[in-house]
Amino acid sequence: MPASPIDARRVEIRFPGSHEGFADAFRRLRHALDREALSASTRYNAELVFEEIVANIVGHGARKGREPDVRVTLEARPDSIVLIFDDDGVPFDPRGRPDPVKPTSLEEAKVGGFGLMLVRHAASSLEYLRTAEDRNQLIVRVPRQP
Amino acid sequence: MQLQLGDTVDGVLNLALIGRLDTPGVDQIETRLTAHLVPRGARAMVDLSQVTFLASGGIRMFITIARALSRKGGRLVLYGAQPLVAEVLETTSLNNIVPVRADATTAGSVARG
Repeated sequence: MPASPIDARRVEIRFPGSHEGFADAFRRLRHALDREALSASTRYNAELVFEEIVANIVGHGARKGREPDVRVTLEARPDSIVLIFDDDGVPFDPRGRPDPVKPTSLEEAKVGGFGLMLVRHAASSLEYLRTAEDRNQLIVRVPRQP
Repeated sequence: MQLQLGDTVDGVLNLALIGRLDTPGVDQIETRLTAHLVPRGARAMVDLSQVTFLASGGIRMFITIARALSRKGGRLVLYGAQPLVAEVLETTSLNNIVPVRADATTAGSVARG
């Protein structure tokens, strides 16, 4: 976990990687974001990153049928919102995954891969590591926009 | 997430989606929206002006429904998206394969073909 600067406010949300856990955690994230003075764009991007990353953990992270344990830390920094996703699900490093080819026709269009594309669009950086405790840790920085 | 059914004008169904098209929102609406449009191969225009959040699950839903309609001779047109929702439509290039228009008048023209 990166060192937290003194002027960052932190909120940690821990939940089971189930649909119910996801919905409850999203409510808690939105409540935490309500306390920050964010532009509509920054707020949207923070929610978009949370939605896409957690949907992927819930949808694909289960190991041997066991839903992952998920912790998300929100850090509100002066220049950015940092979201740290920590889970014990299937190893997944999104950094090397290619974006889907942009569709040119309905028949050829893929229906997957847009989530990571949106995360890359919303974020200024993605850092990933597999921890010594065998957990995924993904750090996504969402720049504050006016 | 709510689905509001409007009038049918010149053979074009007008519908509105209201709320958040996040994972729970798509789960709530996808089956009903598909059942309402696809079996009849509808020409439909969908008002997005009251959609406050759109993520990749909504993009997948729109592609799936638009493709199914296209195969039946129907058409899906989206209109009225708020700026941040429109940005998601553009980032994913959905607007390259599904008509996206600013208002109901131009959406209706496209839907009628």
